[in-house]
Amino acid sequence: MAFSIEHIQIAAYLGAGICVGIGAVTTGIGSGIIAGEGAYGIVKQPKANEQIFRTMLIGQAAAQTAGIFALVISMLLIYGRSDAPEGGWFKAAAYLAAGLAMGLGSVGPSLGAGYAGGQACKSVARMPKHGNAIMGNMLIGQALSQTSAIFALVVAFLLMYSVPNQPADISIGRIIVKSVALIAAGLSIGFGTLGPGTGIGYVAGKASDMMGRFPNEKPKIMRTMFLGAAVSESTAIYSLVVAFLLIFAL
Amino acid sequence: MNLTLAQGIVKASALLGAGLCMGMGALGPGIGEGFVAGKACEGIARSPENASLITRTMLVGQAVSESTGIYSLVIALLLIFST
Repeated sequence: MAFSIEHIQIAAYLGAGICVGIGAVTTGIGSGIIAGEGAYGIVKQPKANEQIFRTMLIGQAAAQTAGIFALVISMLLIYGRSDAPEGGWFKAAAYLAAGLAMGLGSVGPSLGAGYAGGQACKSVARMPKHGNAIMGNMLIGQALSQTSAIFALVVAFLLMYSVPNQPADISIGRIIVKSVALIAAGLSIGFGTLGPGTGIGYVAGKASDMMGRFPNEKPKIMRTMFLGAAVSESTAIYSLVVAFLLIFAL
Repeated sequence: MNLTLAQGIVKASALLGAGLCMGMGALGPGIGEGFVAGKACEGIARSPENASLITRTMLVGQAVSESTGIYSLVIALLLIFST
């Protein structure tokens, strides 16, 4: 099939749509969980409404992070790409893969951060006195769960800006191998962040919940949260390694 | 290295398989280990005197749950480098 500049444009626009479309799904769900728990918390503890409202807003902002990453990548795919025909199939595959990586990659972290924020709102409503400790724990937990979204962002940037142009004298077999390798890198990190993001969010949510019930055990709870989150992150790191190998070793 | 169309499709399928293998394979362990750690946080908060026992159980459980993630990594590396 003869290559033309439209192939790059098709791939980039498709990637941009997939990116923000899939990325918005759980960003919305996560923020909704937080708002729901916040509203219910205000019903149960109307006196602490300001504190609950603040926790809700900060938690929602943190849960939106991955959605904003997806928006940025999608904007860059629309306005910040290079349409030079020398890019060839390599660039087209890389743009599609960047969209897939960030779109799928924001699903897990947003869901996790949403659960963590929801539990924190519930916990603040139960124990408004320890609201600041709970909110601090929530933010640390949400940051941990967003690390895998940052992996996806890094891979998406590498796919967009570090994939070389297609050499002129290359066999059709090599073109297929390299292009599919780039798409596989996007799928690897995209699906690979789903589990760790959700899992770490569950840890952070439980830790915030328990911080409200047993505030004296804060050091032990936080230690367990960090340890568990680190182990849970390991599979995201495997996916990152595989994605790097697929981008650079082939 | 020059590849014919058929060789290229074979290698490309192996690479796509590697990406999907590691991506999907990371999903289960990530959620499972997070669940273990979340319940361990709950347990330690409820009975802090058993903290070391709970941490030990958590780590052993996570190691077992990690194994499928490592299987996926091994298969992905095999698909990338030995096809």
